[in-house]
Amino acid sequence: MKQQWQIVHSIHTAISKYLAAILLSTYCLLIQGCFLQQEPLQIDIQPRTPEQMSAFYEARGFPQAMIDALETTCYMTVHIKNTSQDVLWLDLSLWRFTIGDISLKRFHRNEWLQRWKEMDIPLRFQSTFRWTLIPELLDYQPGEEEGGNIILKRTQEPITLHAVFPIGQDKQGKAHTVKIDNLRCAENLP
Amino acid sequence: MIIRTWIVLVVFIVVTQVALATETGLPFGIRAYSATPAPRFQLQNMDGESIDLQTLRDNWVFVHFWASWCGPCRLEMPAIEKLSQIITYDKLPIVMVNVAEDEDTVFSFLAEVTPTLDSFMDTDGQAIEAWKPRGLPATYLVDPAGNIRYQALGGREWHQLEYTDFIKRVMRKKHE
Repeated sequence: MKQQWQIVHSIHTAISKYLAAILLSTYCLLIQGCFLQQEPLQIDIQPRTPEQMSAFYEARGFPQAMIDALETTCYMTVHIKNTSQDVLWLDLSLWRFTIGDISLKRFHRNEWLQRWKEMDIPLRFQSTFRWTLIPELLDYQPGEEEGGNIILKRTQEPITLHAVFPIGQDKQGKAHTVKIDNLRCAENLP
Repeated sequence: MIIRTWIVLVVFIVVTQVALATETGLPFGIRAYSATPAPRFQLQNMDGESIDLQTLRDNWVFVHFWASWCGPCRLEMPAIEKLSQIITYDKLPIVMVNVAEDEDTVFSFLAEVTPTLDSFMDTDGQAIEAWKPRGLPATYLVDPAGNIRYQALGGREWHQLEYTDFIKRVMRKKHE
């Protein structure tokens, strides 16, 4: 009897773990964003509406010209956690956003830096803006989580992300690849 | 039976965590650096009082960069306030640096979240540019010679024994 109970218990545990894994593995579409849990990382991508983005910067007193420039773009807040015991590299130069087979432009932080300089934006706003972006390059240590915004050219088409994450202190491990379909730029509510 | 399994599991996790921490000597989320000179800054708080990092030599210094819009900063701040009560300023100066926000924002944030902590203002965001942290919040432990020795990865529960013991251990290095 005890043995039967143990068998039932272990089957129950296995099924629970399996269901939990399925639930946590990936959910996209419903809110236009995506959460993906796939060893060695968790990645959460949440599109922001132009109104959300503007409200954030307006509340911090950003010049209207800066907000106007940003409002026409597609904002995605990305949060990444390294769930492995090895170093995981975020290197945005290894990320590609596409619509079908066509690349979608991602704005590099240096492009904004140049633009803000040309617009003579005060340094404090430039600084805050930079800190809201996800780094271009970061070696996520085991368990570390960091996030920030990615800025794309605005589109109404579904977007696919192809991302490569080098692994290991010297990037000597087998790189991890992630493909996420059906990301969309968030629109203001009517 | 299930309860016993859980107890064993919890004990196992705690023991292995302690063993790992002891093995590396570092609590979770703390990264050691080879001695790197801490970039100098001279900043003012909202009362116009100045601080020059260099004048705090001979002490370990806890340097913390933060902003009110950063969610993890808000979560971490009470832990820093508690740390400041456990290890007092004369032993471990805590230098809080707000990144590029105005006085009204900083004042109302601190009053609400950590009334006993004061912050210096990196008004144009240029001090943090020199430090180049991984993200916000960013915390560094600077040794008495003015070198960065440790950086915290993200927000940490500084008031927990794991971290207070670590900081006390580090501070004793001054006399070695």
